[in-house]
Amino acid sequence: MLNYLVDIFLIAVSAALINNFVLHYFVGICPFVGVSRRIEMAFGMGCAVTFVISIAAFISWAITTFILVPGAPLSQWIAGFFVPAETAAKVDLTILSYIVYILAISSSVQFVEMYVRKFYPPLYKSFGVYLPLITTNCAILFACLTIMANIVGVDDPADAWDLGRSLVLAIFGGVGFTIAIVIMAGIREELDLCDVPKPFQGAAITLIVAGILALGFMGFTGVDSGLRKALTPTVEKQAAVENLPVGKMVKTASGYRLIG
Amino acid sequence: MADQPTSLERFVQGILPENPVFRQLLGLCPTLAVTNNMKSAITMTGAVLFVLFCANVITSLIRNLLKPHLRIVIFTLTIATFVTIADRFLAAYLYQMSKTLGPYIPLIIVNCIIICRCEVCASKQGVITAGADAIGQSIGFGIALSAIAAVREILGTGMFFEIRVLPAAWPDWVVMVLPPGAFLTFGLLIGLVNWYEGFRAQKAGKIEG
Amino acid sequence: MTENVKTNFFSQAWLVLLLAICFGAMLAGMQIALGPTIEANKVNETLERVPEMVFGADRARELADREQAVDVTPLTVGVDKAGKTVRYSVFEAKTDGQLAGWVTKTAGQGYADKIEMLIGFDPQVEKITGIFVLDQKETPGLGNKIVTDEWRSQFVAKSTGQSLAAVKGKAKAGNEIDAITGATISSKAVTDIINTAVVDLREPLITKAKGM
Repeated sequence: MLNYLVDIFLIAVSAALINNFVLHYFVGICPFVGVSRRIEMAFGMGCAVTFVISIAAFISWAITTFILVPGAPLSQWIAGFFVPAETAAKVDLTILSYIVYILAISSSVQFVEMYVRKFYPPLYKSFGVYLPLITTNCAILFACLTIMANIVGVDDPADAWDLGRSLVLAIFGGVGFTIAIVIMAGIREELDLCDVPKPFQGAAITLIVAGILALGFMGFTGVDSGLRKALTPTVEKQAAVENLPVGKMVKTASGYRLIG
Repeated sequence: MADQPTSLERFVQGILPENPVFRQLLGLCPTLAVTNNMKSAITMTGAVLFVLFCANVITSLIRNLLKPHLRIVIFTLTIATFVTIADRFLAAYLYQMSKTLGPYIPLIIVNCIIICRCEVCASKQGVITAGADAIGQSIGFGIALSAIAAVREILGTGMFFEIRVLPAAWPDWVVMVLPPGAFLTFGLLIGLVNWYEGFRAQKAGKIEG
Repeated sequence: MTENVKTNFFSQAWLVLLLAICFGAMLAGMQIALGPTIEANKVNETLERVPEMVFGADRARELADREQAVDVTPLTVGVDKAGKTVRYSVFEAKTDGQLAGWVTKTAGQGYADKIEMLIGFDPQVEKITGIFVLDQKETPGLGNKIVTDEWRSQFVAKSTGQSLAAVKGKAKAGNEIDAITGATISSKAVTDIINTAVVDLREPLITKAKGM
């Protein structure tokens, strides 16, 4: 339980500060440059992104775990009607993941927009206008892909991310985006009063400022490994429990091949 | 369609006058993320060329059948399919590279350049023009990426295409291959391009005057 | 009315459905054609390193030249730790039916991100025979020097009896490793990963070697 909480905490810190979506992974740069002129606008955009990213993360986590990943319950159940059970257990739909995610994101943006416009008009007024722009925001797809990598890409199925971890990554990724864009907007409001050389006005100076911000955020690197060490109690191992042979490999002319 | 640009115009425009990265500021996410060495930049350009070309040609072929409110869905579906193909292909034949590029290959789906070209050019013009437009835009994208990657790789590691070009005494500017270097290089290059454009416009004005 | 909606739906969406079917077929073809290659790439990335980890680079090349077959069997070893089972991928390397050594794949927190590596042991798990870094995102120019041959070669022939320590300056004692200048944390992370793997795997692997 304690380990789980530490994990969640570190994912949050890492997504929001250390590996900031904008300043470390470079996703969501388009709105970062385009919608960072005024602080209120930037904050509205940040909230909209955080909102949509959490919904998209929820949907993509559910789709990946129940349908796409090899041996997912739902696809296994459906395939079980057509093919023998052993084949059904191997059904791997991860090749469809990109298509499924982008459709899930665009439809969830549409639904969120309609829902908010109908039921929360004041909320719609404050950030609804940014919603259509968000579909092509890389940050959302990036969050979905990170979640997928942590479900499909792990060696041990027990390490696959659960809903809690996925949601925390998404929400704090959004928070990190908001932090970055609001700081940027604050600086740009001041920049308006400065005498910037003409060729550098607009995007160029914004990017240079972003570079300096990224330099600042680099100071957070390594905080997570230190925190993890400080927070996790050292555990003594007890005993080896099992040896599970999974196959045999032989050397062939072109490399090694799995047999049996 | 007399007022639409021809194939050749579309091709030339993509390279410099309407350079997707420097002039239109589209597709910034890969521009910054994969430019810490030339190899990744070139691979990224190849992947974008493939996806943009296929998406443009298909959109152009079905342009008369498109329903206005369904066109974005169709664009997205097409792009996502070709990105998946490019991703699998890299994983099969350039495994190390596909590991290095990681999530930035699937992120081509939300690269504004592609959906923008489908909307602006391919959904209005013929197949050949659409193809030429795709190639021109990709070359422009490639030039921008290589320019940034060349600066970052040479200053950051003293190497170009992993071959040493600066003397061993060169103290590597490590910051150039880290995220801040991407922002700084790109910002300075945009400033340079703007300055050059302004300079040229001024000169042209003088000659006419 | 219903009729109307139906025809309307199909006249609107037939293109999307048709494209979806075409693209689906394309992707299926792609998966059938390239799927095995991708799987093989993933497996080979680790497996190709096994002889080098067990015998060292020079002897591994010599064995390959002599067409000496190295049989590699992948195993999963589970270790119980405070109620949680940690699973290790272990490769058992044999030449001419004789156990030649073990290679394990393991990962741990580095300075910037996870470091994923291979560690080779001799059959009795008394010595480390080699290490290899599969994946890391340490600081370029500093921490990423953990992948270099010179640095990795320090670990060869280190005893597993004592836990390893990365020290600044020159390593003196048998269990000490030169930390990379400016990247002490990355160096310590590597020794920590190795120490954990040694503690966890020593007993199960020794037991398994005896049983053969």
